[in-house]
Amino acid sequence: MDTSLRRRLEARLGEHLVAPVAGRGDETEIRIAAGSVAAVLSTLHDDPDLRFRVLADLAGVDTGAHFQVVYHLWSDGSPDWLRVIVEPLARDDPRAPSATFLWKGAEWMEREAYDMFGIVFEGNRDLRRIYMPPDYTSFPLRKDFHLPDDASRSPAAGVRHMERPHAPADATVAARTRRSVGS
Amino acid sequence: METVSGPADAGRSAPSDDPRVRLEEELTVFASVPPFPPRTERENEFYTLGDGEMLINMGPQHPSTHGVLRVVLKLEGEKVVDLDPVLGYLHRGVEKLCENADYHQTIAYMDPLEYVSSLFCEWPAVMAYEKLHDVTVPRRAEYIRVLSSELLRIASHALFMGWMALDLGGLTPILWSFIERDEIVDMLSALTGQRMLFNYFRIGGVNGDLNHDFLSRLGDWMSRATAQHQANINLLNENEIFVRRMRGLGIIDREAALRMCATGPNLRATGVPFDVRRAHPYSVFPELEFDIPTRQEGDCLARYLVRLDEIKQSVRIIDQCLNEMPDGPVMAKLPRLIRPRPGRAWAAVEGPRGEYGVYAISDGTDQPFRLRIHDPSFIHLQMVGLMMPGHLLADTMAVMASLDPIMGGVDK
Repeated sequence: MDTSLRRRLEARLGEHLVAPVAGRGDETEIRIAAGSVAAVLSTLHDDPDLRFRVLADLAGVDTGAHFQVVYHLWSDGSPDWLRVIVEPLARDDPRAPSATFLWKGAEWMEREAYDMFGIVFEGNRDLRRIYMPPDYTSFPLRKDFHLPDDASRSPAAGVRHMERPHAPADATVAARTRRSVGS
Repeated sequence: METVSGPADAGRSAPSDDPRVRLEEELTVFASVPPFPPRTERENEFYTLGDGEMLINMGPQHPSTHGVLRVVLKLEGEKVVDLDPVLGYLHRGVEKLCENADYHQTIAYMDPLEYVSSLFCEWPAVMAYEKLHDVTVPRRAEYIRVLSSELLRIASHALFMGWMALDLGGLTPILWSFIERDEIVDMLSALTGQRMLFNYFRIGGVNGDLNHDFLSRLGDWMSRATAQHQANINLLNENEIFVRRMRGLGIIDREAALRMCATGPNLRATGVPFDVRRAHPYSVFPELEFDIPTRQEGDCLARYLVRLDEIKQSVRIIDQCLNEMPDGPVMAKLPRLIRPRPGRAWAAVEGPRGEYGVYAISDGTDQPFRLRIHDPSFIHLQMVGLMMPGHLLADTMAVMASLDPIMGGVDK
């Protein structure tokens, strides 16, 4: 962990950090609340001491309890990757400000996070599904997304997906019944 | 102004007044289908047509979309006003699949993401797991990783050259570049046992040591790599039609490229020397000598020339790897099922298309809790929307080819 970067981060972003600056190996990690995303990202991007000009990644995460938005940034002023974790986003109404005012390229990554987790990025002017069809109703990467349940509402109803870990107890009975109905 | 009625309006029309049409029930089986969501700001803007404008679908089965990509083009005559790429035709849900596979199994899921340069997708994944599990990779394994992936970078860039020319209507270059690519792919198949989806990197090393077949093919190829590359360069760089067509096409400046999160050759073609191998060194790259080629113009020709220069640098790196390859094991000693400590790790590598990254979260079990895959093709594809307005329809293919997206990586 880059201690000089940690000092700079604490000096510039002190009031926004909800946890001490952490880090391990070549990564430094800060945690902020959803309300301070715009202020923190602008400071990281524009401050001459920080200069985080490259947005390496934007990801949504479901921790099981709440959601996170995770940014990975790169600057020429530090040998570390900077990870900005925005949490907690409420499970029933996850909302976070958009980063598109700084990085236009975050638009599609936010669309992906919306598609997969249902996180609403306020300020993204094109927040619609990107991989799944537009009339799809679920958020596949959420931890409470169970594929068989959802498949029962899809045109492929009845297909048992490989993801289901165990066959139902009455699988053989069901198969026999189906065969007899078919014949 | 005329507004195109979208799917949101379909099926919700008022009951017909026509006496010949008798509707017993207004709603049919489609009642169970949830309604389309309201249009976004951008969609409203895009699907509102001005005078003389029309919408045309290109794809999903269009040969020059490099896979299955649908692009809705808004045209005025032959001029592109705006475009809207529609993704998802190749979506396989790799991130969800990886959450249900153990750490070793996920490496196999990485390969088909980027089927032209699959080692670059495996690498950040194994790097992230190694960070999570505190594995030290033997130096010989690191050199083998660099050697094999730089070979693959040459193959990928060679294929790019061919594709680029093919999308502009030239047939010869793709035949030439496939000769070069096939030699490298055969070489790697002697090393890994596979031609395209190698599944070669392992957590803590690589699957097998260098063998005689691979090394003899490599030595044979290295003796004429430079000459063959020069022949390929002469074929296209001195073709006036090609150069004139590419120059000044699809320009993006460095500030816009940074704001679009571009990486790799597409960013370096605008003059930003950002290369993860130097910007955030990993593996044995700090010990190797190579330059980062950049161009200032930011047009299609610059993106093409940057890639040509990178091939030369890759040959240099391979040469150094062969000279400095140490002896020793190629795998760290690890149990067959690893359970990394709970934590998070981000790893990124420089691939032929830009920065590949993996963000892995471990909860202490043998399966990743969350695996985020960052693919540069996905990012670069949205730059097309910035570059295209004002150009002709036929240039769409040229601009898209110059960004070199692979749909397997875009759609994950």
